[in-house]
Amino acid sequence: MKDFISLRVLDRLRPGLEIIGLDYPTLRKILQVKLIMDSRRTPTVFNRNTRQSGDKNGFIRSLWLYVLMGLILIPLVVAGDNYLFQMSLTFAMLMFFVMTSMISDFSTVLLDIRDRVILLTKPIDRRTVGLARAIHITMYLILLTMSLAGPSLVASFVVRGLWFGMAFLLGLGLMDLLIIALTALLYLLFLNFFDGERLKDLINYVQIGLSIAILLAYQLMGRIFEVLKLRVVFHAAWWQAVLPPVWFGSVFAWGFGHNPEGPILGLALMAVVVPVILFVGYVWAMPLFESRLQRLAMGKGASKPQNRGGRRLARMFCRNPEERSFFEFAGLMMARERDFKLKVYPSLGFAIALPLLVMFNPAWSHQSHQLNSGHWYLAIYMMGFMIPTVMMMLRYSSQFKAAWIYQAAPIQHRENIYRGTVKAVLVRLFLPIFAIESVIFVLLFGTGVILDLLAALFALLIYAVLSFRWLGLGLPFSEPFQMAQQRKRWVIWLLLLMLGVLAGLHFMFTLLPMGLYLYLTLLLLVNGMAWTWGFRQNKPKFLAAEDSVS
Amino acid sequence: MAYGTQRVLKGINLDVAKGQVIGYIGPNGAGKSTTIKAMLGLVAGYSGTIHIFGQNIADGDGGYKRRIGYVPETAEVYESLTAEEYLGFVGSLYGISEQRVQDKALALATLLGLKDAYYARIASYSKGMRQKVLLIASVLHNPDILFLDEPLSGLDANSVMVVKDLLAQLAQHGKTIFYSSHLMDVVEKISNRIVLLNDGTIVADGTFDELKNLAQEKSLEEIFGHITGFLEHQEIAEKCLAIIQGD
Repeated sequence: MKDFISLRVLDRLRPGLEIIGLDYPTLRKILQVKLIMDSRRTPTVFNRNTRQSGDKNGFIRSLWLYVLMGLILIPLVVAGDNYLFQMSLTFAMLMFFVMTSMISDFSTVLLDIRDRVILLTKPIDRRTVGLARAIHITMYLILLTMSLAGPSLVASFVVRGLWFGMAFLLGLGLMDLLIIALTALLYLLFLNFFDGERLKDLINYVQIGLSIAILLAYQLMGRIFEVLKLRVVFHAAWWQAVLPPVWFGSVFAWGFGHNPEGPILGLALMAVVVPVILFVGYVWAMPLFESRLQRLAMGKGASKPQNRGGRRLARMFCRNPEERSFFEFAGLMMARERDFKLKVYPSLGFAIALPLLVMFNPAWSHQSHQLNSGHWYLAIYMMGFMIPTVMMMLRYSSQFKAAWIYQAAPIQHRENIYRGTVKAVLVRLFLPIFAIESVIFVLLFGTGVILDLLAALFALLIYAVLSFRWLGLGLPFSEPFQMAQQRKRWVIWLLLLMLGVLAGLHFMFTLLPMGLYLYLTLLLLVNGMAWTWGFRQNKPKFLAAEDSVS
Repeated sequence: MAYGTQRVLKGINLDVAKGQVIGYIGPNGAGKSTTIKAMLGLVAGYSGTIHIFGQNIADGDGGYKRRIGYVPETAEVYESLTAEEYLGFVGSLYGISEQRVQDKALALATLLGLKDAYYARIASYSKGMRQKVLLIASVLHNPDILFLDEPLSGLDANSVMVVKDLLAQLAQHGKTIFYSSHLMDVVEKISNRIVLLNDGTIVADGTFDELKNLAQEKSLEEIFGHITGFLEHQEIAEKCLAIIQGD
């Protein structure tokens, strides 16, 4: 079997691991198999069309991206002398990225119960299984941390000297321990109160929240550096004691910043003591964690039907019964399928923020900031940015194999499938966020924009049909997520460009007398046509076998 | 009927009459599931014709599926849905009114002992419970033909008895049942015609008694072994034992 460098590094730690009573050969064997499986998993980020040669680990191949991102940390670490602030910020950013990756990418590894059937039925110690899991994750976290912090670490050795670099390295190690232990103990807590599906839902929402936070943080990055230009005066305050990045920052303030105050030393000690205590606690709780994991597979049955509201909506928006059943079905799937939510919900949150971010961009601030006078309300068209994403994700599902039912069932007109599904997206996902945004816009611009917002809504409804069509009329929830590749990338760009065209059209109509009413009438007409004929296709009416869903 | 470039099926000629229970058996990879999928229009690329209800299935608009029920071999369902939601969805695809689906599905689920989990997500179900959902989904629209691919897999002993009796009674009421399985004793009991498939061709076709005479064996298991040319099962088992014990 293939040997891994990481395992040979681990061999050096063998005596230490055996002291705490571990079965090292078994541990090594488990890890080896896990690493082999990782290297054969098709990473979702890469195009399936590019043939992969041999065993390559997709995660490792994506690390260069993190190295690039890590470059922005260099000035923060090597320039200036406000150690406490700069290093706290550095660690805050690192922790944020690593923690996010831990939760979104490695939660599945931490909470994997599939190998329990294989491993725990064999005469192996639970602690060994748990530690194999922990070490497996640690390996990846170390790689990730080193990629992110690598550039600034090298720079700190060069500019700040050996001791600073060593302290930075040690701090990174402690940070990883802290993150693993914290995440695991957090899940252990969740496992105490929730079971099965609800726990998975909860983790899903944490992941969605973090994705939105990252998208926003990325947008706000410019403003963070605005703050940096200011002289930040940093006072120790009690609440900083609960912020781990400040502990790490304090280490450098105390050791290198001529800041030998008592509180700083106290905070610096926390950086060492807390991770170690938490990690020891995690190792101690490992058998408990392993046995609690079983709860993931359990689930209490609900005793009531849950989808009364969806049925009422379906009756309201769809007349055709076939269309109605797909409206209901798609609505349920969009609310339940976790992978879909993880990929789509962040863009919903972002769709609300995007028009506002565009309007309040500091780049415009020197111009007249009177929103009322211009055509800033056209920024509402930016909301349409989420539509192509959702339309594309619609066809994917982790349960794509269940799509045989589309062919086994006597579906008369495929267009009903499409129309019902697209309506479900618009009614259940798009309209709510559009309503929220409209309220914000009316507050900002006054009631005068209501008709414009209505026009934008009608235009975006047409846009939705167009997006679905251009992205190739896919059956909903019928393909694996691995298929969600870059192949339609150019169509998406084209569609995003269309948003600008629509906003431009809107603008031109406002220049005409009574132009807005003309525009509205035109949009209503086109909507009627789009929803009547927009989902037709030239293929035979019934589900032809060459589409081969099975 | 021949299928594909690898020729999974190499000429299958079958005439099936109303009210028959056809046991469709054969070794792994013989082409049993493929035949059923072809008849449902799930796979294309075969040569030859398939007539169901006297009509070539390639000609129509798939409307014949309205009268067909299907239980696939693998229990793949949209498991984020509850049984109530999934059955409601499938029922509506067959054009049954909402209220009728709800009533029928709940009544059947209650009879099959699925009531407690009826409103829970299928993801939390055991293999047998999923199988029950699939069985219910296949009969909601009162089909005239049932294609069942290992329909009893995962079911508890009591449910197996219920389903076996149900199939017999459905056949008595004129339904045609196409039953594919590896469980020879079940096939032997419920089928009034057995079709044995080996390597893409039909190697035996007749009632259980006819097959018994043909192969000069007592049980369907032995007939199966005789016809597919597999006689050394005891020998292989002995060799396995020697390897397991030989340390």
